[in-house]
Amino acid sequence: MIRAEGVTKIFGPAPETALPLLEAGKGKSEIQAETGQVVGVHDVSFSVEPGEVFVIMGLSGSGKSTLIRCINRLFEPTAGHIFFQHPDEGEVEITGLSDERLRMLRKHHMSMVFQNFALFPHRSVLDNVAYGLEVQGKARDERHRHAREMLEMVGLGDWGNAYPSELSGGMQQRVGLARGLATDASVLLMDEPFSALDPLIKVNMQQELKKIQQQLGRTILFITHDLDEAMRIGDHIAIMEEGEIIQLGTPEEILVNPRTEYVARFVEHADPTAVITAGTIAQPLDSQTFRTVSEADGLRFVAADDLPALHYGLDDQGRLQEARLNGQRLEIRSLDEALEREARGARREDLLMLCPHQTVLRQVLRGRTRTALPTLVTDAEGRVTGLIDELQLIRGILEKRGPSADSESLPVAEEASS
Amino acid sequence: MSEILELLRQLITDPFGLLEALPVRQWITDAVNWVVSNFRDFFRSYLSPPVRGAMELIQTALEAIPPGLFLVGIFLIGWRAASWRVGLFSFIALALVGFMGVWNALVVTLSLVITAVLFCMLIGLPLGILCSRSDRFANAMRPILDIMQTTPPFVYLVPAVMLFGIGNVPGLIATIIFAMPPMIRLTNLGIRQVSTEYIEAAEAFGSTPRQILWKVQFPLALPTVMAGLNQTIMLALSMVVIAAIIGAGGLGLEVYAGLERLNIGQAFVGGIGIVLLAMVLDRITQGLGEKAPGKSK
Repeated sequence: MIRAEGVTKIFGPAPETALPLLEAGKGKSEIQAETGQVVGVHDVSFSVEPGEVFVIMGLSGSGKSTLIRCINRLFEPTAGHIFFQHPDEGEVEITGLSDERLRMLRKHHMSMVFQNFALFPHRSVLDNVAYGLEVQGKARDERHRHAREMLEMVGLGDWGNAYPSELSGGMQQRVGLARGLATDASVLLMDEPFSALDPLIKVNMQQELKKIQQQLGRTILFITHDLDEAMRIGDHIAIMEEGEIIQLGTPEEILVNPRTEYVARFVEHADPTAVITAGTIAQPLDSQTFRTVSEADGLRFVAADDLPALHYGLDDQGRLQEARLNGQRLEIRSLDEALEREARGARREDLLMLCPHQTVLRQVLRGRTRTALPTLVTDAEGRVTGLIDELQLIRGILEKRGPSADSESLPVAEEASS
Repeated sequence: MSEILELLRQLITDPFGLLEALPVRQWITDAVNWVVSNFRDFFRSYLSPPVRGAMELIQTALEAIPPGLFLVGIFLIGWRAASWRVGLFSFIALALVGFMGVWNALVVTLSLVITAVLFCMLIGLPLGILCSRSDRFANAMRPILDIMQTTPPFVYLVPAVMLFGIGNVPGLIATIIFAMPPMIRLTNLGIRQVSTEYIEAAEAFGSTPRQILWKVQFPLALPTVMAGLNQTIMLALSMVVIAAIIGAGGLGLEVYAGLERLNIGQAFVGGIGIVLLAMVLDRITQGLGEKAPGKSK
């Protein structure tokens, strides 16, 4: 949807003077001391898929706000190219557009939501939401009707005639969001939209944004300095430091495998239970800790070394057909089903749960409150790929990783043999 | 040697005596004479008519309103623009002027002020907007504005008379020149003060520079522009009195005639009338400024 290649933005009267120094690998402060130019963003490349939430995260001064302004050219990039997948014209290079065509792009395809809302104080809420439509040249009735729909969607249907100053911060940003959505632009640029809001309202807004995004299918470029926020709403996260992207990946990739010290410090305090998935922490079925104990009726029974009494019966595809504990047949249920049906607080000894590999850790933990037995992880075809017992859960929370990413020897095996 | 010492002494004690006096007086006299002899007809046939026409139209209109209705009208204007208090104050103040027997002079002065302010807005607003859009233009305007504002009005009353003759028109021209600077300055300032976050937001939605000006910048600058209008009105009022010297009528003429005849009472009645009118116009335009939508933040 959007592709950036080698985008660089240097502020100052003579940005060219800083380019060779940047190429020579000099740091931001060195360049500022030498040439007086300030490097905002340096050689940033990424690509945003249609319909995803792409989060750019970094501390203040890391260049994230500069980067997002380069995309709709509120700031003119010093070097690099930015492309946009135009619905009618195919791929268009934003960095090469004339003023007139750039305005068309901003009018119809790319809108923006701001950190401090930037609602026009002299316009009513309705006229604020309708602003983009007004610029598009839509008739009054039409734009008001559409703006009212947008206000309904963000839950402010009754506030159209109020002025922004009469609204709380959270409500103002709903208006800002409605204004950004009203033009039907396929790309929404959001510059720290929730940073100025109270924590509780912030979480509310994040959930609502996710909902609206699923409903409308917009592509969102979202800037934040809050890792939990990034993890909660991002499909991909780019972490910026000193004007460069130092790591780009899914929330889980970043949490499980931080590439630099800086990222590691960032993710240290993040809540892993909503991000890390069952597939990551599970003990793989093919590791040495499992062995085949018997075969019967076309089923192969396997058991883990540390829990030899529990036998999992797999068919030739690797799907779980039967499970026995000390010879006793166990009930098998999916995790979701178990959470729905089983009484809270009653921890069963005869229930075995299955969950898909993309289930988040938190959900698996919830499941464990219903049964004392391990959870089996399945792939997309329903084949069992691994097992999560208490040990894997604890390691997932504490270490934010599973056995596969672990360079140390497998503690499960060690404990089993001791 | 002694000659050099003598020269040094003179350099310190009387450096200006070394050269003949700079003939600035002569230059200006010549320049004004040249302008008058070459452009008098142009000024009289192209500049005077619109000013005189506007003034006469406004005066005729105001004089056509019966005083009682006028007072009710001013109450309504004060009430709508500011508050019922301002309306009541305006009503009482102008009624007082009428009771002092100078109602007709008041109406003339008001016509003069309205005409002058109208022209100030007509010329000053576009100039102010231009200043806000171009640093170069603003820098070029600044010394001109300084000259317009600080040159003692008496200095240009004489050339005004030479160009336009005696009467309301030269007085109006002098008033327009004197009262216009705040309109330009504060329009410029108001537009420049509009926070970049609003301009950025307008840009992000694809607004053209013209749309940004009229949909965002100017409305948000309105309180400041109104402050400029208020200043312009006050300056116009003060100048209208001075313009009486070259034949402008109204309350200023009362003051001037009173002084000439050493009729202190007459002079003071004119003076009080001007003060009351100034207060009324000030309160009303301030009220307008506070109600301007850009203020609602």
